[in-house]
Amino acid sequence: MSWRPLDLARPASAAFRVAPLLVALAMVALPQWALAQSSEAAKEAQRLAWDPDLPGPDQPIPFSHALHAGTYKIECLYCHSGTDRSRVAGVPSVQNCMGCHSQFGQDLEGVQILKKYWDEQKPIEWIQIHRLPEHVKFRHNRHVAAGLDCQTCHGPVQEMHKVHLVPERVWVNGMPAQKLEMGWCIHCHEAKKASIDCLTCHY
Amino acid sequence: MPQFDRREFLKLVGVGAGAGVATACSDPVEYLIPYVVQPEVVTPGIPNFYASTCRECSAGCGLHVKTREGRPIKLEGNPESPINRGALCGRGQAGIGRTYHPDRFQGPMRRNEKGDLEPAEWSAALADLTAKVKSGGAGVFVLGGDPGATASVQIDAWVKAVGAGGRVVYDPFAPEALRAASRLVFDVDATPIFDLSSADLVVSFANDLLETGISPTEHSRQLAEARDVRTRRDGGARFVYVGPRGSMTAENADEWLAAKPGTEGILALALARIVVERGRGSASDRSALGSLLDGFDVDAAASATGLEADSIRRLGEALAAAKSPVALAPGVAFTSRRAAATAASVLILNQLCGAVGSAVKLPPAASEPKPAASHREVLALIDSMKSGKVQVLLVHDADPLYSLSPSTGFAEALAKVPFVVSFASLPDETTARAHLVLPDHTPMESWGDVSPRPGIRSIVQPTFRPLYQTRAMVDVLLDVGRAMGGTVAAALPEGTFQALVQAAFADTDWRKTLAMGGVFGEPPSVGPVSLSPDVAKLEIEPPLLEGEGEWTLVAYPSPLLHDGRGANLPWLQEVPDPVTKIAWQSWVEVSKATAEKIGAEVGDVIAVETPFGRIEAPCLPRGALRDDVVAVAIGQGHTVGRFASRGGKQTPGEPRGVNVIAVLPSATDEANGRAWLSTKAKLSTTGRSERIAFLQTHDNQRQRQLAEAVPVSALAAAPAVSAAPSGGHGDPHGGAHGDSHGAGHSDAGHHEMLLPFDAAKDALPSSFHRWGMAIDLDRCTGCSACVVACYIENNIPIVGEDQVLRGRVMSWIRIERFVGPGVVDFVPGRPAHVDNGKLGDTDIRHLPMVCQQCGSAPCEPVCPVIATYHNDEGLNGMIYNRCIGTRYCANNCPYKVRRFNFYDYDHENWPEPMHLGLNPDVTVRGQGVMEKCTFCVQRIALGQQTAKDQKRAIADGEVTTACAQSCPTDAIVFGNLRDETSRAVQLGNDPPREYHALHMLNTRPSVTYLAKVTRGPVEA
Repeated sequence: MSWRPLDLARPASAAFRVAPLLVALAMVALPQWALAQSSEAAKEAQRLAWDPDLPGPDQPIPFSHALHAGTYKIECLYCHSGTDRSRVAGVPSVQNCMGCHSQFGQDLEGVQILKKYWDEQKPIEWIQIHRLPEHVKFRHNRHVAAGLDCQTCHGPVQEMHKVHLVPERVWVNGMPAQKLEMGWCIHCHEAKKASIDCLTCHY
Repeated sequence: MPQFDRREFLKLVGVGAGAGVATACSDPVEYLIPYVVQPEVVTPGIPNFYASTCRECSAGCGLHVKTREGRPIKLEGNPESPINRGALCGRGQAGIGRTYHPDRFQGPMRRNEKGDLEPAEWSAALADLTAKVKSGGAGVFVLGGDPGATASVQIDAWVKAVGAGGRVVYDPFAPEALRAASRLVFDVDATPIFDLSSADLVVSFANDLLETGISPTEHSRQLAEARDVRTRRDGGARFVYVGPRGSMTAENADEWLAAKPGTEGILALALARIVVERGRGSASDRSALGSLLDGFDVDAAASATGLEADSIRRLGEALAAAKSPVALAPGVAFTSRRAAATAASVLILNQLCGAVGSAVKLPPAASEPKPAASHREVLALIDSMKSGKVQVLLVHDADPLYSLSPSTGFAEALAKVPFVVSFASLPDETTARAHLVLPDHTPMESWGDVSPRPGIRSIVQPTFRPLYQTRAMVDVLLDVGRAMGGTVAAALPEGTFQALVQAAFADTDWRKTLAMGGVFGEPPSVGPVSLSPDVAKLEIEPPLLEGEGEWTLVAYPSPLLHDGRGANLPWLQEVPDPVTKIAWQSWVEVSKATAEKIGAEVGDVIAVETPFGRIEAPCLPRGALRDDVVAVAIGQGHTVGRFASRGGKQTPGEPRGVNVIAVLPSATDEANGRAWLSTKAKLSTTGRSERIAFLQTHDNQRQRQLAEAVPVSALAAAPAVSAAPSGGHGDPHGGAHGDSHGAGHSDAGHHEMLLPFDAAKDALPSSFHRWGMAIDLDRCTGCSACVVACYIENNIPIVGEDQVLRGRVMSWIRIERFVGPGVVDFVPGRPAHVDNGKLGDTDIRHLPMVCQQCGSAPCEPVCPVIATYHNDEGLNGMIYNRCIGTRYCANNCPYKVRRFNFYDYDHENWPEPMHLGLNPDVTVRGQGVMEKCTFCVQRIALGQQTAKDQKRAIADGEVTTACAQSCPTDAIVFGNLRDETSRAVQLGNDPPREYHALHMLNTRPSVTYLAKVTRGPVEA
């Protein structure tokens, strides 16, 4: 919990004061990078992100996790910040995306769509893939703290151009359990001696 | 009707079932919608708290607003505020409902030719208002309640700048009589501040201070502190209530003297005379009194008040002998036409007892922060309206059409005003007649500051962006003034209302003050005062009552609905009245003898007739009411608002209950305040009868030891209870826990505990925690703040009057009210209502009943699907997604704390945008699911997470339940029973008082109740 006053005239934090400076520096020092054409790999990744033959729904933007997390090796928590602190995994804000894409990849269709969202100041309505019912109080921060890889539950996202639920089945007490079903959670909780108290997740 | 054969039927069923399966297979698409720009302070899933101020009454309690993802979801008290110290009453907590109210105006509304309100643009609405104000000139008037300190200053400045006719402050419950009395008695024009925390004798002259006084949360806490039996084994302060009706405050007193209404002044002076005779009071004060007290001997007072002379004498002697006594002047319901004189006599008594300067503080006149409300000025304004002098009327922070008596002619006068503007954010009776509605923000969305008394300046800060197209009233006024240009614009300050509020705190570090919630200082106090010589001329007489009837009509403020402003907040309708346990309805309280006389029984609709009107409502015969009094609560009878009325939303519909104000005259007291105790009434039956929505139909606990009491003498032998940590954490796995014994000290010692037990042991041996509670019945006043807190924290649905009548209320915590130990009687059938109240009886026990999280829970073994079970930490878990709704558990629960979702209340009972205020940490239960108190397991989980992240154990007091958090008197203490040093263990370890409810059933409850202490009548 954080205890802070709401102050609309709040002076920007150090990070916010430094950020524009860095951006300005980058623009001056690296004009080639800023204006460079996107790589063929990026274009291909974008095509695959909207490829109807791949599993998973089409998102509003052809965003490829394989490119960002796989090729560019950007940490998951860089965009999904707060996941290590909060029950809820953070989904990056449009501003967060624009932090890089005001500089990079402006010739890509996906970035142009993103720019449109930014210009209109509209949020992006991503389709949720990994979804738990309301009566499950899953806590991301606990699982990050326990040292679990994101891939344990979300699958090899760094290889997916189009994120989808990777089927997985485990056997719990002789019963099959699919991924993100309760038996699948219990399977891991039992193996790792984590709590299997109902009230841990259901209230 | 088409004919089906069996084959056809089976085919159709098959198609139906197939379709059902098909739809069940495809999940609806859910979206993840992140921010466009995520605010730096917001992390989804982690709550933020902002300090603000409650605007539900004039007490000005500090708030901590809990927000999630930028939405306020719960209000808690600000621990820094000296008024409420972290607690918050039910009314304050329900205030969050204004923001998410489905009836809210979503933007400006203008009345069209057909007479309907239709949406308008702000620019057009402002232009309209500007033109009217310009042409209105001195015919422009502002009428409203207290909008806060800075807003009040700005409204006054605006009125002056635009050359408006004037501003009338209207607060139906303003303590004007008290302020007038202070002028009269001490020559100090300020409202005295009462501090009960160090008193040893508190006498309330018909002041319902615990529910509807000047500052109920503060006074409840102070009284509980003064009467704390944990440290004061003699029982602490004694509390005497004088008044004709057994109100919640009367039920918490040690002695209740049921004096005739309006005779409090006579009694106070008779007591003053005894006090003087015993040598108290300074020589100058005595000489100032002159011969005032001569006419007030005990016998005269006895005949005037209807009390026994002995009781008066005894109270007088006790006052004379007390070290620091304090007396409170009559509250709203008992302000008669002689209210100022009555309050003056109570202040004289305080002065003679030496209370003024210590328990009664007089701030300097110049420091009085609130504008003085004056009922006479309101009446004068109504006269101007009638004569056509008022061209434009601006109404804010009040609903005068509801709360002014029709005999003032306000409705007719309003019809003569060509342009009525309302700034209300929620529709009410007045907006239904307004030509223009310019909705203000709700308190959750606005800036502002409140100064409930000198020394305190509490800030109201917005906790999220306005939900709709609303604007701060002061900003609207300033814009109108600026648009008028010229000298008007020049006379107005620059900047927005927010900047003006901030400027008012220029003497402080704004950011620190904002984080703190305001400036909280001690009230300045004038030096020692003496009685003004004018008091000798005081005329104390019985009240002037109009009408011929046999009964005095007492219209009292409803503990939950206040002056009616709470009626459109669903929680305040659903939570029952603390005394009568009636929800959603109006009732007429008469004494049992009266009921017999007029031939009415419970639920028979009776008519209350005064020279000013007639109302009809179901009759409730009560033992705890004088025979010459009929009492009706103020607050119901609204015609507008979906919860306040039946069917009316923004336009008037059928009223819910009756508005007692309709039968009151437009009386003022001698100091221009409003006189509520002003008429006699006639009663008659109507031949109809209605079902009353009782949540508890009987007050007989049949000696089952649900709510116990012990005499104060039983405490003397036992040592005081220490709640201070004795250093370090105790061994969580063992330790010598004294076995609890229920027998030996109770009212009826014939229940033997079959198996003594230690609640701390009822958890897994390896667990660090066994959660439990200590609930102190001596501190519980029955105010029901905990009930509202639980409703809001746990997303408990509001079921409405119809379902309440079917016994399907969903509250997880309820306050049971019992009269004494009860008698074992088996009456065949189910009587509609059992009332064992008696005049003068104060052995009323309020019992907060929560799930006892039994160690041997009867609900658990009967569940066929193990949806309810015992967890490692001793909690009785209720897993909604496992529940199949057999209701076996509810049938087997002896405490009746389990609630069943008969309907999908989440769809019907949280109309948009109410769902925005739901707690995202608690599952919204669906139809067919059982639910119950979980000791706020989501709060425990949050505490556990925080502690785990910091690699430490949960500290005592770090995790608390919503009910315990809100309690004004700290009656509920939650904690770990395995920690010897936790407050719950220490306070629960009080052998003469501790017991477990229904312990003879061997349910091994984790809640330890501490019996109420019967202190008996006051002695010198």
